[in-house]
Amino acid sequence: MATIAYLLSGVVLLSGFWLLIARRIRGAVGDYAFQSWVLGLVCLATSWQSGRLHLLVLGLSTVVVKGIVIPTVLRHQVKATVYERRETSYHLGFPSALLLGSALSVVGFLVAARLPLVRDPLGEPVLGVAITVVLLGFFTTLARRDAAMQLTGLLVAENGLLLAGLVMSAGLPLLVDFAFFLDVLVGAVVMGFLIARMHETMASTDTSELTRLRG
Amino acid sequence: MTTSLLALLVVPLIGAVLTWALRPAWALYVLTATAHAAVLALAARLLGGVLQHRFPHAFASWLDLDPLGGLVLLVVALVAFTSALYSIGYLHHEHREGAVSGRELRRYFALLHVFVFTMLLCAVAGNLGLLWTAIAATTVTSAPLVDFYGSHEPLEAAWKYILLTTAGSMVALLGFLVLYQAGVHLLGASYDFSFPTLMAVAGRLPAPEAASAFLLVLVGLGTKAGLAPMHSWLPDAHSQAPSPVCALLSGVELNCAMLGILRVYALTAPAASPERLRLALLGFGLVSVLVGVVFLVSQQDFKRLLAYSSIEHMGLIAAGVGIGAPLATFGSMLQMVNHAITKSLMFFATGNLLLGFRTRAIASVGGLARAMPATAVGLLAGGLAIAGAPPFNLFVSEVSIVAGAATSRQWFPALALAGLLGIGFLAMVGPFNRMVFVPAAGPRERLGARVNRLLLVPIYLSLAAALLLGAWVPGPLHDLLGGAAQVVSP
Repeated sequence: MATIAYLLSGVVLLSGFWLLIARRIRGAVGDYAFQSWVLGLVCLATSWQSGRLHLLVLGLSTVVVKGIVIPTVLRHQVKATVYERRETSYHLGFPSALLLGSALSVVGFLVAARLPLVRDPLGEPVLGVAITVVLLGFFTTLARRDAAMQLTGLLVAENGLLLAGLVMSAGLPLLVDFAFFLDVLVGAVVMGFLIARMHETMASTDTSELTRLRG
Repeated sequence: MTTSLLALLVVPLIGAVLTWALRPAWALYVLTATAHAAVLALAARLLGGVLQHRFPHAFASWLDLDPLGGLVLLVVALVAFTSALYSIGYLHHEHREGAVSGRELRRYFALLHVFVFTMLLCAVAGNLGLLWTAIAATTVTSAPLVDFYGSHEPLEAAWKYILLTTAGSMVALLGFLVLYQAGVHLLGASYDFSFPTLMAVAGRLPAPEAASAFLLVLVGLGTKAGLAPMHSWLPDAHSQAPSPVCALLSGVELNCAMLGILRVYALTAPAASPERLRLALLGFGLVSVLVGVVFLVSQQDFKRLLAYSSIEHMGLIAAGVGIGAPLATFGSMLQMVNHAITKSLMFFATGNLLLGFRTRAIASVGGLARAMPATAVGLLAGGLAIAGAPPFNLFVSEVSIVAGAATSRQWFPALALAGLLGIGFLAMVGPFNRMVFVPAAGPRERLGARVNRLLLVPIYLSLAAALLLGAWVPGPLHDLLGGAAQVVSP
């Protein structure tokens, strides 16, 4: 089962990279949903392996909340025009984004190796994937100009944290995990609401127009 | 006690639900005032218990009120009450002017109740996972309030606010996970992750984990507490939100994030070498004070002026704990209370200016002494108070922090803080004096007469508290502050 968990974490990492080259918001949100499903499967595999029942619940709620509910909410809140539009407003080109992404994955794995803390069967490689996915998510939030893309970046980073949590704090009370889920869900809804407002006010969701406040 | 603790959390939620059912504006006002008065009364009862060492708790230790949480509960309940009163006056004014519709009125009060709920939850959370969730939730519930007016600038402020502070919260969450992992070595794979449980073994946590957990939380929640250089969202959010919301954001929401940092500091300092952790706190604190003061000088916008003053004050709190001397830690605790009272006072007073003059530019406001005399008194006195002049309360806490540094022979922080506070004092007193005494250039609307009484009551309540605490810290408050300082660095 450990092999399956490793394999699936590899898929999570790949979907983190896919986010860097997604051209449409539809693609990015779909990528997020896919990543959440795979993450749910990682939870299930770990639960099978360790016999911890609450990881099963965690996996199922990951699939429901992050794989289904949040992508659906985003699809409804982000106006159809924006959703389908080709995202061209990157602060840098795709090749350099991929290059920086690879550099970030090196950083992620180095950090994971330096942290003297993993005693879990899943262990260090998965923690490396987790930290890399967090970094890739943050990178997307920084480097993309579209608000919906920035939100997707944060959500992907949060997926990375869930994976990190699986390695470092699998014994965390389930209620805490539910509190985290609720927070992500409400956060995504509120940010989706702000994106819709942006579209009403400026007829665009390009955040490079948000530069009026200075000093 | 347990009943009061649960009631404290339930009351604002019931208030939020009821706002959707109530149509007439006056009913909303009565509801808001009643709910927040009830919260204040419940908080007083709970604090009474804390002072007698009967710490209220519920659901094992999911909710657990210790003196440090009690201190934050005190400021949340106090400022939520004055801010609720001011909200009523402010929204009533805006509603009558036609700037805010009945629907928006209900939305505002519903969100206000939920926002207050999340901050109360921060104060009483005994479980660290719950504490993190509550701190992150304060952003989510207040961002729609920042965007309340819904035009381009508030939207920009709200977006930056939610994006940056959520990213910060995620970094902090990584820190909390590392902290959990550190506890696994001592408490087994599955433990409840509550503050008391971990505190009992704090001295034996593995040092590298403890140190990395603290640094991650410091950077992550420091973003939310407005510590430089992660503060860039703060002046925008705190200048674009409606004034009563600014009072809550600046006065108490920052303190909630600081509470998270202090709790993790208390847990990790005994195991990791405390000197290094203190150095990190002191470093972020000094940089924040520096950045705050630099942007105070020649600031053109009076709400941004207050926002940068908040960065300065948060920096001082961090620096005070970083100095580590008992007097400085005590001063930091007092600073949390004093900052909350005076900063909300100033956002109320400048809120009246905004209603009267419809501008945030310092240069466009003048002759307040004649146009709005009652507000002018509050603004002038409050301006002296946040600048740190005697006989107001911030003078006492700021002197305690600097004196704490000097008496423990940490000359660099002592001198740097004293110098920066002096410059900050001059930068803040000037603009407020000018707005009050120098007549406005050109004809200006005179709306002073139209400011309703509810827009003045919270100002004078806060001013009375600022003067009282400047002269004398009452015994029970002294005990509470001492208890909180004891939790932070035992």
